[in-house]
Amino acid sequence: MLKKILVIVLSLSLLIGVFAGCQKTEEAGVIKIGVAAPITGNYAEYGKGFDVATQMAVDKINAAGGINGKTVELVLMDSKGDAKEATEIARKFTEDPEILAVVGDFSSTCCMATAPIYTEAKMVQISPTASHPDYAGMSEYMFSVMGRQDAEGPFVAEYLAQKYVGAEKMAVIYLNNDWGVSAHTNILKRAEEIGLEVTAVENFVDGEKDFTATLTKIRQTNPDTLCLVMFYNELVIISKQIKQMGWEDVKIIALGPGISEQIVQLGGADVEGIATSTPFMVSPDNTVAVAFKNEFEQKAGFTLNVHSACAYDATNMLAKAIGNLGDNVTREAIAAELSNMKDFVGITGPIIFTANGDVFRKYLIAQIENNKWVQKTDYSYVD
Amino acid sequence: MIDRIKKLYTDNKTIFLIAGLAAMIALPFLIVKGSVMSIIVKILFYVILASSLNIINGYSGQFNIGHAGFVLIGAYTLAILANFGWPIWVLYIVAGIVTAIIGFLVALPTLRLRGIYLALVTLGFSEIMRLVALNWTALTGGPMGIKGIPSPWFFGLRSTAPHNYYYIVLFFVVICLFTSYRVINSKVGRAWMSIREDDHAAMSLGVDIRKYKSINFMFGAFWAGVGGALMAPFYKFIDSSMFTLDEGFNILSMVIIGGQGTLVGPVVGSVVVNLTTEIFRFADEARLLVYAVLIISMMWLRPQGLAGTSKSVIANRSIRKSKQVLLSKLSGKKEVK
Amino acid sequence: MYFLEQLINGICQGSIYALMAIGYAVIYGVVGLVTFTYGEIIMMGSFSAFYYFIAFGNNLWMALIAGFITAALVGVVVHKVCYQRFLDAPRYISLICTIGMSMFLKNLATILFGSEMKGMPTFFGGKFISIGTIRVGYLQLIIIAVVIILTVLLTIYLKKTRMGMRLRAVSQDKKAAALVGINVKTTTLIGNCIGCGLGGVAGILLGVYYNSVLPTMGGMAGLKAFSAMVLGGLGSIVGSAISGVIIGVVENLGIALTSSGLRDVFAFVLLVLILFIRPQGLFGKKGN
Repeated sequence: MLKKILVIVLSLSLLIGVFAGCQKTEEAGVIKIGVAAPITGNYAEYGKGFDVATQMAVDKINAAGGINGKTVELVLMDSKGDAKEATEIARKFTEDPEILAVVGDFSSTCCMATAPIYTEAKMVQISPTASHPDYAGMSEYMFSVMGRQDAEGPFVAEYLAQKYVGAEKMAVIYLNNDWGVSAHTNILKRAEEIGLEVTAVENFVDGEKDFTATLTKIRQTNPDTLCLVMFYNELVIISKQIKQMGWEDVKIIALGPGISEQIVQLGGADVEGIATSTPFMVSPDNTVAVAFKNEFEQKAGFTLNVHSACAYDATNMLAKAIGNLGDNVTREAIAAELSNMKDFVGITGPIIFTANGDVFRKYLIAQIENNKWVQKTDYSYVD
Repeated sequence: MIDRIKKLYTDNKTIFLIAGLAAMIALPFLIVKGSVMSIIVKILFYVILASSLNIINGYSGQFNIGHAGFVLIGAYTLAILANFGWPIWVLYIVAGIVTAIIGFLVALPTLRLRGIYLALVTLGFSEIMRLVALNWTALTGGPMGIKGIPSPWFFGLRSTAPHNYYYIVLFFVVICLFTSYRVINSKVGRAWMSIREDDHAAMSLGVDIRKYKSINFMFGAFWAGVGGALMAPFYKFIDSSMFTLDEGFNILSMVIIGGQGTLVGPVVGSVVVNLTTEIFRFADEARLLVYAVLIISMMWLRPQGLAGTSKSVIANRSIRKSKQVLLSKLSGKKEVK
Repeated sequence: MYFLEQLINGICQGSIYALMAIGYAVIYGVVGLVTFTYGEIIMMGSFSAFYYFIAFGNNLWMALIAGFITAALVGVVVHKVCYQRFLDAPRYISLICTIGMSMFLKNLATILFGSEMKGMPTFFGGKFISIGTIRVGYLQLIIIAVVIILTVLLTIYLKKTRMGMRLRAVSQDKKAAALVGINVKTTTLIGNCIGCGLGGVAGILLGVYYNSVLPTMGGMAGLKAFSAMVLGGLGSIVGSAISGVIIGVVENLGIALTSSGLRDVFAFVLLVLILFIRPQGLFGKKGN
């Protein structure tokens, strides 16, 4: 009997030991910021951009002496663009008392899925890219620096489609997720107001590869312009399949991918002439931005896209807010500090949050010419 | 080694059970870190899911490879009704019942199908459920999933913190294992096993195969539904990508690795599989390679699973011998050794 | 006219499914076991072509051969790991093995090739034949032609050659085949390799048709092949081919009438319905 009890006690203590071994000791003098980004998967280009840009921001801050003498450390986690993965990451971040705030995630769906978890923990999630109009308003701890779809959608319909490419009959294909639904609704709304005829609206679910049937269906309606609301993977596949079908007389415009390098690399000659909207592009006379762009491209190995620039700005904003708070840094205080910040100027221009916690932006038009993204209009195009 | 552990266990059943339960209750006090605790909660989810699949595959010998479909129904039932303001505590059970009804509907026409055909129907069912959840945007949120699923309240505590939610899940795990134990050792359970070993013999002994097979499917589906419903408030977010066929295969692998047709099997399987994949988390994508190798080597070395019985057809033994054992069991005699 | 165009889209897609299903039917017939690794074989074939194009330029025909060989070689590994040992064991053991193998290959591919989508080169881009107002792309015609040629070759091989007859003998009755002096082990291995090779070729066609390859492309493709084979009556080659085309056509017409999100629903509803109404498949014989 004694022996048996001994065995039980031993095995129990072993079990406890295993779990106790997982507990880590705390470090002092470090400020930790979480980064949730799709490092792998369908949005990998954007995720890698997040990684490089946030690290660049932190390196600069640390080189200048850190925040109030403390060094900043990033904790990067790969959400794969998957909302379930993102919620698990959110749980890990909120449960780690050392992590003060989070930069991320890429997609609106991920951000909106994690919002309740961060809100419960009173932790700031500042997304570089989530542009769903409802996201930032979900709580006072949610922020977004990219701009909103109810600003970009109308721009795409009125200026990119109607004014720039001269569309008269347009068909829309959108990615069926939070962002895509919101983006295309805003396009359709403005299109109706300005009398731009929309001949067909089709959607697809993330991961779809065969668009032949959908394109055949759309071609029947004879549009002169195709508006693709999606990211680089599907955009490239659709452009290729359009070429494959021998459908030459259609102009392609895109909302979503920004000036993505992957489009040019994957698409080659098949994506020539695609035009897209972007809130930001580096102009040669902006020396700070040019220096940033060069350094980014050297580190990342691909062209700077707007998403990475926003990630850089988001990290810097967060650092500034933490710095302003001095010794009174709490998760909760960072949110108030961010929403009151009126003097931040980033790579992508001045950022001042609205009452919701997001930003209204102006947009540019860029187009692929000879395998390169070229800026075609400036901010005054709207006037 | 394994057999010796098993012997030690069978000799001291009560001590082990009480000590185990006490340890389980004490566990959250010993573990500070929430992320470790949430791994343990995840293991418990899979204990329920694997046990429920084991009821179907392990005990009645039907081959269900689309278990994720049942889990999906449970999770979505809770998430949808919770947003209508139903209390979560009630919904755990409601989700189980709804899933059991669906399980019955799946079982009904499949009763005359066997082996590969039944497997195919469950596969098709699972994928159809996932695709319906993916496309019925008005009800299920479609690709956007359902967000912000409310947490149950538990003695004034917000219970989705892993340390609190653990107790809710543990409660259901205990009930699940206990009811399974009771059912398996009842007339119903013996009927299931007789169908598994040899359905013609069972029929000739007067077992109503259709009735017991559908009870079996409903019981398994019920607990799959409860398991799914338990997951939803914990993750606070569900979408159809959580219930792919691969997820069904994942549950199936746990049952097989642990050992089908035994109560402890799925528990062992869930612990082993989840711990392996967590330990190798640092290896990122390679951890699934480890998992894959684990599955394959189990099939090579011990197809009946870590805790599996070697007395049944599922253990790759001669059917005749196992039939003898079972028939003697059925007729109430002691095992011939 | 529009309807006819969608029908041709469906036939083209369906012929790829048909080729996959034929490969699956050969494997199922000879080995007698269900496999879930087939999707990953398809993916491997597709990737081999992707790297072939990078290394040796865009020659589709040579890539098809390379893909056949690569997939057949992967098939040997799958055979050794998942079937050979378990030919007489309960079926679920090898089935679980193939699930593990599929997981292994998928994640190995993710590690080796990266999880991002890769673009396939465009073949016969923009060229099409007009019949009246109907446009049929060159690529679509080539795909359909390749599938028909391979099916005919396979049928001749099975009916006219010694090896083919051995394969048929083994798929009908292993014991009897062994009694008349056929080496059942080698024959099953060869049959499995042929099936996998056909899957590899189908994978290339799929990659070229969709202009993309990625490690997770196999999952759904394998399920479609599986469904088509069951629909055609387990192991029946002609039945599988026809069912593949049926699934492709139903899908494309379904998308034309509803939306592309529902694509896979059609295939699975069809599968479940057929299993309830006619468990032996559309072209299977009763009594199995």
